[in-house]
Amino acid sequence: MNRVVITGVGVQSAAGAGLSALASAIREGRSCLSPLDTPLPVSLAGQVPEPVEPDEAFPDDRKAWLAFAAAEEAIAAADLDGEAALCPERRRAVFLGTGLASVTPGQLAEDIYPHLRPDGTFDREAMARDLDARRASPRRHMPGRVTAALARRIDAAGPTGTSFSACAAAAQAIAEGFWTLRRGRADLALVGGHDAMIHPLGILSFVVLGAIGEGPCRPFDRRRDGFAMGEGAAVLVLETLEHARSRGAVPLAEVLGAGTSADGHNPTAPHPEGRGAEAAMRAALADAGLRPEQVDYVNAHGTGTPLGDRAEAMAVARVFGPEARISSIKGAIGHTVAAAGALEAAACVAALREGFLPGTVGLEQPDPDLPLRPLRDPLPFRARVVLSNSFGFGGQNCALLLGAPGGIDA
Amino acid sequence: MPEPVLSERFLDGLRPVAVARVGLLCPAGMGPEGARGGRPGEVPGFRARAFVPDRKSIKLMTRAVQLGVSAARLACSGPAAAILDEVEPVRRGAFVGASPQLGDPDDLAPALDVSTGDDGRFDLGRFAREGIPRIHPLWLVRGLSNNVLGFASLFFDLQGVNMNYCDGEAGGWTALVEGARAVAEGRADAVLAGGADALLDAGPLLGGRDVGEGAAFLLLHPAREPGPVVPLDRDALSADEAELGYLGAATWPVALARHLLARFPELAG
Repeated sequence: MNRVVITGVGVQSAAGAGLSALASAIREGRSCLSPLDTPLPVSLAGQVPEPVEPDEAFPDDRKAWLAFAAAEEAIAAADLDGEAALCPERRRAVFLGTGLASVTPGQLAEDIYPHLRPDGTFDREAMARDLDARRASPRRHMPGRVTAALARRIDAAGPTGTSFSACAAAAQAIAEGFWTLRRGRADLALVGGHDAMIHPLGILSFVVLGAIGEGPCRPFDRRRDGFAMGEGAAVLVLETLEHARSRGAVPLAEVLGAGTSADGHNPTAPHPEGRGAEAAMRAALADAGLRPEQVDYVNAHGTGTPLGDRAEAMAVARVFGPEARISSIKGAIGHTVAAAGALEAAACVAALREGFLPGTVGLEQPDPDLPLRPLRDPLPFRARVVLSNSFGFGGQNCALLLGAPGGIDA
Repeated sequence: MPEPVLSERFLDGLRPVAVARVGLLCPAGMGPEGARGGRPGEVPGFRARAFVPDRKSIKLMTRAVQLGVSAARLACSGPAAAILDEVEPVRRGAFVGASPQLGDPDDLAPALDVSTGDDGRFDLGRFAREGIPRIHPLWLVRGLSNNVLGFASLFFDLQGVNMNYCDGEAGGWTALVEGARAVAEGRADAVLAGGADALLDAGPLLGGRDVGEGAAFLLLHPAREPGPVVPLDRDALSADEAELGYLGAATWPVALARHLLARFPELAG
């Protein structure tokens, strides 16, 4: 089986444009959440600070723009447009994790509200009639279009897929890309995830669920009350080690293994003891042929919800022991939902390369009832193997194992 | 008893993958015989309560999810239930093709109704203050594309490898292929693979195309006694769009399920 390396990373996050901006923020332990101007009951969010270049084929689809911007950075970093020959088009793959469509206030008013009958019922036929394909709204609900656009960007004619498993979507897309390359079905893949839910219906959706906190996001803190909404995208270029070497590309990190699982427990709540989370981590270890003690750091899903953090802490303690080094970056950039697994994989790449472990922004009073003591502040540490967790509504879980280039051999 | 075995080049040299059971709901009817009737493109006579005993769960499902979970139940019935019983939950996988399930607009109607400003226009501030409390807390959850997978994993304790593909009709086919691959490669010992979609209201969004709804799932497992070979070949199947309408993520699972049940009616769940 092929070894798979990461040769390019592109990031759009609340820390700004680029992997370096994200790396600086988490290395410094800095919160990138900013005040949100909305009548909705939310005060902070992880908003991408710079304007994002629109794409005329995807009008009003902010999460698509974020994906394209991240992809351009990753493509440039890996020098895919350079002079070195790439594999044939049929050996190039794209796997992307995505989320629910963005709906702006204007679209809410334009698309939905006018189709309310005087008696308060909804006129579906009128809405369907008015939503024709020339408008942006229907297209936003076809998430595979962004995957297809990225495939066109790198002339990929090999395997493609769009993963939709809520907050596990991007990690599962990375896992699919990794397995595709490891099994020899392709030599090169763009993988990652994107999402932009800082809009009325996006925020509303989590407010009514009680998943968003009133103040800062505080993963693993005794006062944690939910996450801060974030937005962003991260795209990684994966290559077989052989392909990377053949064109002189420099590996930034290596993908060592991945594991998926399902809770099979409840549509909206994690298994209380993290049964599915544990299964995903153990599956990733088995996939990589590693033992728990070989893992230096766990990048937690760590959303800051009371139930989620507790379940994850219990699962991590069972797999790696109570002394495991663990932290969450969601206090720094917010919860980017379907993009989270990719942004956190990007953060792990930065940590592996720069020799530090991220801290947990927002963690001030560690919850004494948790069986772990998460890192509060960033820690200088040259990790060789890190694990990144992503868990989604619906009970899908994914764990990724990343290593420093050559780290596992060292 | 010999079971039909899937064949494809990527499966060569790996352990044979058998089809234990097929669950099919499509506009031609439920199961192999089918029955016509109802609105064009609709699964005739479908009622989720016949398949999902838990009414509370049904309330969390859109029509597509109801169809998907019901077809999954058919695929996990009979001899398939015994197969699942023999396999550890973490070795049971699920690969699903499904589209985003837009939260039902009807659920937003009361909130929108109270969000009318004095000038008769939509008022976001009023929506925030007075509309939100009128929206069901699980409105978002109903809209997730991975709900078929989530409920199927819940009902049939499928805790192992999984993936939800959201690529229209391609997603349903990918789910079948990757499900077979997971069994062949030994990553799972039982896999539910297929897709579901409900597009009856989406015709105008799809350029006036004839549309329909449906779901089909196969229960796959390592063959004990390999029987007749069935190519896992999309080119060899008819998508039956002229007859059934465009079925989105269910297109290819329904086509394969109909093909299988025509040859092996005993597989019908």
